[in-house]
Amino acid sequence: MSLKILPKRGLSDWVSRLITEYRVVGPKLMKDQYIFGDIHSADDLALDYSTTILPPKKILLPQRETLIQFDTASSSQPIEPFIETQATIILGVHTCDMHAISLLDQIFLEGFPDQHYLARRKNITLVSIECLRSCSEHSFCKSMGTLSVPETFDLHLTDLGNSYALETGSKKGSALLWSMSAVRDPTNGDYRQLQKVMSEKWQSFNYRLVFDITELPSLLALSYDNTLWDEIGDRCLGCGACTIVCPTCYCFNVIDEVDFSLHRGARSRVWDSCQLDRFATVAGGHNFRVNRSDRQRHRFFRKGKYQMEAYGLVGCVGCGRCAQSCLVHISPVEVFNELYRRQSPITSLEQEVTT
Amino acid sequence: MTSLSKPKIAFFDFAGCEGCQLTVIDALQTDIDLLNVVEIVQFREAMSEKGDDYTIAFIEGSYTRFSDKERLIAIRDQAEIVIALGACAHLSGINAIRNLQSTAEVRRYVYGDHAEHFDVSLAKPISAVIHVDAFIPGCPIDRQEFVRAVKALLQGNLPDIPDYPVCVECKLKENSCLFWYGKTCQGPITRAGCGALCPSLGTGCVGCRGLIPSPNISSFKQLMSEHGTSEAGIEAKLKLFMTHEILKSEASGDGN
Repeated sequence: MSLKILPKRGLSDWVSRLITEYRVVGPKLMKDQYIFGDIHSADDLALDYSTTILPPKKILLPQRETLIQFDTASSSQPIEPFIETQATIILGVHTCDMHAISLLDQIFLEGFPDQHYLARRKNITLVSIECLRSCSEHSFCKSMGTLSVPETFDLHLTDLGNSYALETGSKKGSALLWSMSAVRDPTNGDYRQLQKVMSEKWQSFNYRLVFDITELPSLLALSYDNTLWDEIGDRCLGCGACTIVCPTCYCFNVIDEVDFSLHRGARSRVWDSCQLDRFATVAGGHNFRVNRSDRQRHRFFRKGKYQMEAYGLVGCVGCGRCAQSCLVHISPVEVFNELYRRQSPITSLEQEVTT
Repeated sequence: MTSLSKPKIAFFDFAGCEGCQLTVIDALQTDIDLLNVVEIVQFREAMSEKGDDYTIAFIEGSYTRFSDKERLIAIRDQAEIVIALGACAHLSGINAIRNLQSTAEVRRYVYGDHAEHFDVSLAKPISAVIHVDAFIPGCPIDRQEFVRAVKALLQGNLPDIPDYPVCVECKLKENSCLFWYGKTCQGPITRAGCGALCPSLGTGCVGCRGLIPSPNISSFKQLMSEHGTSEAGIEAKLKLFMTHEILKSEASGDGN
């Protein structure tokens, strides 16, 4: 690890240089909400953003992408893979989203790597930023253990007030510092400021889960038949927003579209959602999760249990986007806490008293 | 595909504003290749020729008169595939609002002294009268969805119409939710496929594409109420395009 200091007055020049070599994506204001979008100058960039509507997964796994092009009438090469990438920097990624990207990397790159994800991922440089205050009333990163940056960053920024501390995590990251005249080595004062910022940040975040995250998989295992799922199913609109805005949801559908020749066309991947009616419908028409309660339970089990078991990483990073998007106030931290309360001895005692 | 003769298609209109037919005419201009792959033999809105040897019939508009039945049956008998085109044909659309009142009163109100000369029935989607193979929803239809539907039919498939709600498309486009701004929107219960057109332009979805297959109406009503819509206001919004579906779900005792 090497630490450098970038005075804030040098940010604009840095971004201008990056734009000449890369597609630069970062948090920017759209109306009064932040989104990850193309950055054309430092003025577009809002590094002190709260949270974005969609997570940066949309850059790694676009809402819609072409996988192959085909021509079934061609005898020589009926199918050609379609892979198009561009050297891209994602600037200002919060630590929760960095943890989510670590999970996506495992899912798409381990075992049989997904060629499209791999090609895009290789070409992406991740510049994360230290979170110094809670970004949203719905976030609960401290409880989920995602308030520190994972090792997958290429460059990591920490706001020191008048400057940013830049920690380099990879060659890709150090490449971004090329010919940056404004960057200097840290002084003792910079180290002291960094230490101060880092030690003070923790009190700006609250633990919102009433139990330890390591208990979550076993809590869910005990809660499969809990009546809470029916209560949630009664409220859930089945709109799918929770999964679309989720940084760790990656389920997709694959569709073919042809032109008017009817033999030339393209196969595309589009985001799908386990909250939608047709998701768990199989050939013959049987739907394995016909009720909204089943679908919501499945979602929470994916986040809190299945992904932990399969990948050793928690499937929910506590970003709070789903809770913010849910029109009927289904919030993971509240769901997990309520399940815990219902499983706790006090609840059993209350049940004994009332029965 | 080998050089088979082009399928012959026809367009028919019942009670409606003909906006969906205009959208088809629009599609013929933006996707002119359509004319290379189908032969239009009947399309009153666009041409004078009138052939009856069609295999695919697109029907716009609602059934609103008893006498419509005979014409619908004749189309069904001729066509191999019948597609309901647009909200009026698919859901009976806004025509069904009149079903909330007595048909006799509606007839008297509209036609006055001449009421008895006019044939007026309950307004119905055409699927209530004849078998319909597929529908293309919307008021008006989405041009690109129509083009995709024609391609699907040419491939021997039925069009793949989304059965998920508008919210999906709205979130994919990263729109700010209108409910965050004191507005309301029927996106959570309305069938997608329009690309969340109205919410993307800042106005709430009015439900022209109809309900998703299993909407949570009671939770949606609660949501609308939390956002300041009166009970009468909620009913009015739900019954703009969805009267037929709502009455049907009320009659079967679910959804409320």
